[in-house]
Amino acid sequence: MESIMTIEETGWIYILSYCGAIGLILIGTVAMVIYHHLIRIILGLILLEAGVNLFLITVGYRANAVAPILMGDQVPVAMVDPIPQALVLTAIVIGVGVQALALALVIKTYKAYGTLDTKELAEKIAQESGTHLIDGIPVSLPAPALVRQIAEEKTP
Amino acid sequence: MNGIWLVALPLLGAFLLPIIYRHLPKKVGKWTGPFILLINLGIALELWRSIPVDSAQSIAMGGFPAPLGIIFYVDRLALLFVMLVVLGTLILWLGSELGRIREETLLLLLVGGSCGLALSGDLFNIYVFYEIVAVASYGLAASGKTGAGYAASLRFLILSALGSALLLLGIALIYAVTGTLNLAHLATLAPYMLNDIVGLSAFALMLIGLGVKAELFPVNTWVPEVYITAPARISALLGGIVSKLTLLIVLRFLVLIYADTDAPLLLLSLGVLGVLTGELAALRATDLRQVLAFSSIGQLGLVAIAFSIPGPDGVIAGVVLALHHALVKPALFMLTEAWGGHFKRLVGAAHVSLWGTLLFIVLVLSLVGIPPLPGFWAKLLLLKGAFATENVWYHTAIAVVLIATVIETAYFMRIVRLMFQQQSEPPIKPRLHELIPASTFAALLALSIVYVGTITKNMNEIAVKVADKKIYISNTFPVWHRDFKKNALTENVKIPNSPSSKEETQE
Repeated sequence: MESIMTIEETGWIYILSYCGAIGLILIGTVAMVIYHHLIRIILGLILLEAGVNLFLITVGYRANAVAPILMGDQVPVAMVDPIPQALVLTAIVIGVGVQALALALVIKTYKAYGTLDTKELAEKIAQESGTHLIDGIPVSLPAPALVRQIAEEKTP
Repeated sequence: MNGIWLVALPLLGAFLLPIIYRHLPKKVGKWTGPFILLINLGIALELWRSIPVDSAQSIAMGGFPAPLGIIFYVDRLALLFVMLVVLGTLILWLGSELGRIREETLLLLLVGGSCGLALSGDLFNIYVFYEIVAVASYGLAASGKTGAGYAASLRFLILSALGSALLLLGIALIYAVTGTLNLAHLATLAPYMLNDIVGLSAFALMLIGLGVKAELFPVNTWVPEVYITAPARISALLGGIVSKLTLLIVLRFLVLIYADTDAPLLLLSLGVLGVLTGELAALRATDLRQVLAFSSIGQLGLVAIAFSIPGPDGVIAGVVLALHHALVKPALFMLTEAWGGHFKRLVGAAHVSLWGTLLFIVLVLSLVGIPPLPGFWAKLLLLKGAFATENVWYHTAIAVVLIATVIETAYFMRIVRLMFQQQSEPPIKPRLHELIPASTFAALLALSIVYVGTITKNMNEIAVKVADKKIYISNTFPVWHRDFKKNALTENVKIPNSPSSKEETQE
């Protein structure tokens, strides 16, 4: 250990790290909400997951600490909390798997409809299934109209 | 018998199934899955018999004692949900033709993940099993192999991944405050450390995260799309059975960690909104499966309301409502295999298949809550529990539940009326084997009418024990103590804030 950080320096690490985590979470969530393009939504998801992972890592961070590995008889003065690191490792693996699955589904969806815009997709799917779209929300025929329709079909 | 096999066996089976299909005759592969599920059911029954009501099997993974190690907590409530998942999957599995390798692999994965979710006593383990269940259900949701199915599954995935990121954030917050992930350890620390705004926001994040699968109010937009596009048996499994498991987790959180906070009111409000929106949306829907999907949102809202009632009253009402819905909804979904789609396809169904129509009417009446069908007892327990709280919010919830029941009756009776109308062009006649799964579920429902007294007694005992967090703690920590003494290495390790060590010194 050549240099030992002062309390102020450590404080800045925490502040920057937490701000980064919260910022990533916010950017990711906003991106998922405002964009209509599936790839961008998935990118927002990736940012969100990165933010959560950074948050977990920061929770386990200790000032002037080393990696939590026991080497022989040497017992280091301070070690970072190993549990969040194990959690983040698992979370990253799960995240990558889910993202790969998401992209596979994106490919399948694109092959079926030729678009990745969520609005166009909703329209095309609604056309396919025969429901109506009002302001982008699929709405089925109201019940009275349906009953009338069936009655009309019955009387030739 | 070790409860860990309940999780390990289906997971192992899921990975071995493709190999078995490839290298052994096809007949062996076809029956491997049902065989594994049967063994699992046997193990669960054996554990149910051997574990008394007030105790539990607490298994520490990898030999690390709690709270350092990961704990599996096998008690009767968890076993009940495990048996529900395994039995439901078995019925739906055998109900359609065998030999769909990919779907069967995912089904085993789903069962393994669900059992793990029910038994897990560790926050992060809950997250991992939640993701296993989620990934398996994305695949199953897309197994209809239509474009709309892929799009619905993708939307489900995006919402669910957002939810699980929030769940992880909530878990991280709890870990940052308390420094532990073990539920029993958290239960001892929570009154001092999580009874503030940070603890509540962690609960809110976890509730939204878990709520995606439990079809809670703001994050259930995937429900109608997925249930329309997925095959009927998958909709039945996801909507009827798997969705309850995450509510079981929420129940554990409420009982163990958030017993004396405002957290139950949060769940209550989401449940009430879910009931209202679900039933109103079902009133407007004109697709039979869409109606069932919206009605399942409403029913899960009821379960959420029940679980938010503090004490054993809420537990028993919620568990009975969940069990009832888990029998009725899969049966209704299986009936839509022949009659799914627009209501127009249903007109005149009674003249084609009287048995199918009768099943539909009985199931629907039970869902609405007509005595003597079990749905009535379930709703009665909910109303009784909510009345006993003497809290104005719960009384409002009762009013909403009653209004929702009227709406439910209206839209289901409309469908039943259509079934009895004359139609020049008769609807499709369901083949006999298509009615078998629905009939099996209905038979189980009939059995539960016969044994309603025994079931209520058993459920009461379980509910009283589950609602007492001291039992959970004392069942988890003996393992820790025993291993603590055995293992010389850990003697120097002091676990902070451990109340059980304090108790020991007091003695």
